[in-house]
Amino acid sequence: MSKTDDHHAVDPGAAGGVRDRDMDPAHRDASARNAEASRAQERERGEAARGGVRDMTPALGTPGGPAGWRRAAAGAAVALHQRAWRDARWSDIFHRDSRYAGDAPADPERVAAANRRGRGGEPPAQVQGPMMKAPVWTWEVPLYFWFGGMAAGASFVGLACDLAGDERSARIARRVALGALMPSPPLLIMDLGRPERFYNMLRIFKPRSPMSMGSWCLTAFGGLGAAAVGADLLGRRREAKALGAANAVVGGYLGSYTGVLLASTAVPVWSRSKLLLGPIFVSTATLTGAAATRLVLVATGTPYGHPTRQALVRVESGAMAAELLLSEINHHHLGRLASVLEAGEGARWFSRAKWLARLGLALRLGRRRGLGVWADHVVGVIFMAAALCFRFAWVRAGRSSAHDDEAVALNHRGRATRGEPEHEMEPDQRH
Amino acid sequence: MTAVSHAAPSEISVRRPEAERMGFFTDTTVCIGCKACEVACKQWNDLPADGSQFRRGGSYDHTGELGASTWRHVRFVELLEPSPVQRAEAAAALARGEGGAVPHIPAAALADAGGGVTDDELPDLVALAQDGAGNGAAAGTVDVAAAVADMSRWVFMSDVCKHCTNAGCMDACPTGALIRTEFETVVLQQDVCNGCGYCVPSCPFGVVDRDHRDGRAAKCTLCYDRLQDGLEPACAKACPTDSIQFGAYDELVDVAQRRVAALQDRGLDGAYLYGAGDAPGEEIAGGLGAFFLLTEPPERYGLPAEADSPIQENVVPATVAAVGAGLAAAAAVALAFRAPQRGPVAGGALTVAAVAAGALEVVRDVRDGQRRRQRRREAGRRASERSSKDRA
Repeated sequence: MSKTDDHHAVDPGAAGGVRDRDMDPAHRDASARNAEASRAQERERGEAARGGVRDMTPALGTPGGPAGWRRAAAGAAVALHQRAWRDARWSDIFHRDSRYAGDAPADPERVAAANRRGRGGEPPAQVQGPMMKAPVWTWEVPLYFWFGGMAAGASFVGLACDLAGDERSARIARRVALGALMPSPPLLIMDLGRPERFYNMLRIFKPRSPMSMGSWCLTAFGGLGAAAVGADLLGRRREAKALGAANAVVGGYLGSYTGVLLASTAVPVWSRSKLLLGPIFVSTATLTGAAATRLVLVATGTPYGHPTRQALVRVESGAMAAELLLSEINHHHLGRLASVLEAGEGARWFSRAKWLARLGLALRLGRRRGLGVWADHVVGVIFMAAALCFRFAWVRAGRSSAHDDEAVALNHRGRATRGEPEHEMEPDQRH
Repeated sequence: MTAVSHAAPSEISVRRPEAERMGFFTDTTVCIGCKACEVACKQWNDLPADGSQFRRGGSYDHTGELGASTWRHVRFVELLEPSPVQRAEAAAALARGEGGAVPHIPAAALADAGGGVTDDELPDLVALAQDGAGNGAAAGTVDVAAAVADMSRWVFMSDVCKHCTNAGCMDACPTGALIRTEFETVVLQQDVCNGCGYCVPSCPFGVVDRDHRDGRAAKCTLCYDRLQDGLEPACAKACPTDSIQFGAYDELVDVAQRRVAALQDRGLDGAYLYGAGDAPGEEIAGGLGAFFLLTEPPERYGLPAEADSPIQENVVPATVAAVGAGLAAAAAVALAFRAPQRGPVAGGALTVAAVAAGALEVVRDVRDGQRRRQRRREAGRRASERSSKDRA
């Protein structure tokens, strides 16, 4: 390697011996530089090994397809076939005359007690991670959460307009709901590892899996929303109202299931927010739905001072208050796990979201102190941007939380959130 | 009283009357870290190589973790770093002039070795032996017994999919690609999976992963294809010390329980089973189809001390709260339209409420920042104290 030559070039005196070398600061600098360079080289090599062209061709068949082989005689046993896996009994350990295990049946109580001792007690000072895999979702998913929430919120607004007797606004709200839903399926399909198999999402109906329920909910919402808008276009007012009302009920799940979906994972910051994540997401959905509908109403010529516009301003403020308050309560409850909401990528999105929310609220107060009508429109846009940041914040914070090995370990021990006993761990330096 | 765990019959997708639950018992006390299981698994399942790289922290484990193309992973648990107590004792002995050296382990010296270990980062072992951590009196003294004892604290564990009774990945899967077979193992059907990625964070053990090239999730199948032909899984077949044992689940639990008892009789009190032989109600994920004999706390192997299917734990309360909130929000929006038009009052009150909530958060943010800075200062002080103590 060339580094020996460099040593001589920089500092000829370094050849004097081990002790001299250790003493000489110039040499130490040179070797530190060398070490840095070789580390960089090594990193590059590692990345090339990971990022380069990888041969994914299996020995038989095509990736993902069954291999193209056939038995010589139908139903015949393969070579080395042993009935009842007797080949697993060839080793010595299974012979009862080895000292591997006692012959007498073990006392189950004793083993259970050993397990309790082994897994219970104080957590170790160090965790050797990784403890779990972080979610693989990219930007499409938080963006979908935002659009899906907007559609759900607009469906609430449509129902409310109908109930209040404002049919024109209700029609527009139903169109906003359908329009906000449009980008959702493409975004979700883009995020799949195998987009061409998106239809497998509707292969089964699985009440246990929030993602399966969400797929069906999205389908139902899209169908109802399109039918409602179609009824509007055909001038069938009663049918449109009924379909819009049904959509608001489906929207109650569409706006909230994303919170359930995140809460039903092993990611500490999500799973320990299980009771509040759904309500928080509903608040965001209501906020974006109301703001989007109000902006569209303004654009389509609803006059200033119209009761629907005023009501939507109230809805926005109320939803923002609920969002901030619920986030605050949740943050307080999370304790140790909230660290990913305070530092890291998720925290950066949170702080963006919160500053936008504060700016919007300040403008809204200013509007009441005499700022122009434009302030209301700007606030609507700012609130929608804040909601988008909240969506990104929650998804990104989950990734940091899954990478936080100490948090994952302590969460499983029930020693992570506020009110649970605290435990300090040394950070793992392995990654 | 312990019970042997079995999956709910309604979950089993493939019916065969003579089939029974099969599993792995991985005994870490006889594992020698040869990685034959990793290689056998890759060969049988046609899994591509991942490249290898030593990682930060000086571990000799270059596989790193289970993944879409690594279904067996021999985890190296290096317990070589001296504990604070050992450090303190050694320093005290030095101070008394009793010789010895503050424990200095090469593996720890590699802790900062960025992306890999290169020649010039390997510690100079000769200099270490001569130097005795800067103490001339201890030059040349190497405690062979202590070094051998340290070697025994280097443990290996061949990690694999646990084939849980309450399988989080299977509960999460929206396409039905993940199924339970007649052997009560959890298998991912590659021709159904569309790569939604929901199983990845749903596994409390971090087993299943989505391959970023292939696009689908993948994990251990317990060699479902071999099982159907009456062959034991490739990893168990290749294991030279029978650290990986394969067999009928009930028999394996029996062997494992007798092994724990034998080890304890020989004085290894820390031996316990992870995932089997628990008292009812204390099982991990309802009992693991692939369970382990461990001697260290589970977190040292990257395993959770307690775990269950996250969906079975959370989905009902979370759904009730979320749907309740959804319907409440729809009602609240309708109410906002119905509210008597009292001019700016109603809207103003809500805005003020939101501003108050925002202010509350500002206060909390500031307090959190102060707390974090204080914690950082304390950590820095502790570290400098420790290093100055070591130097002394």
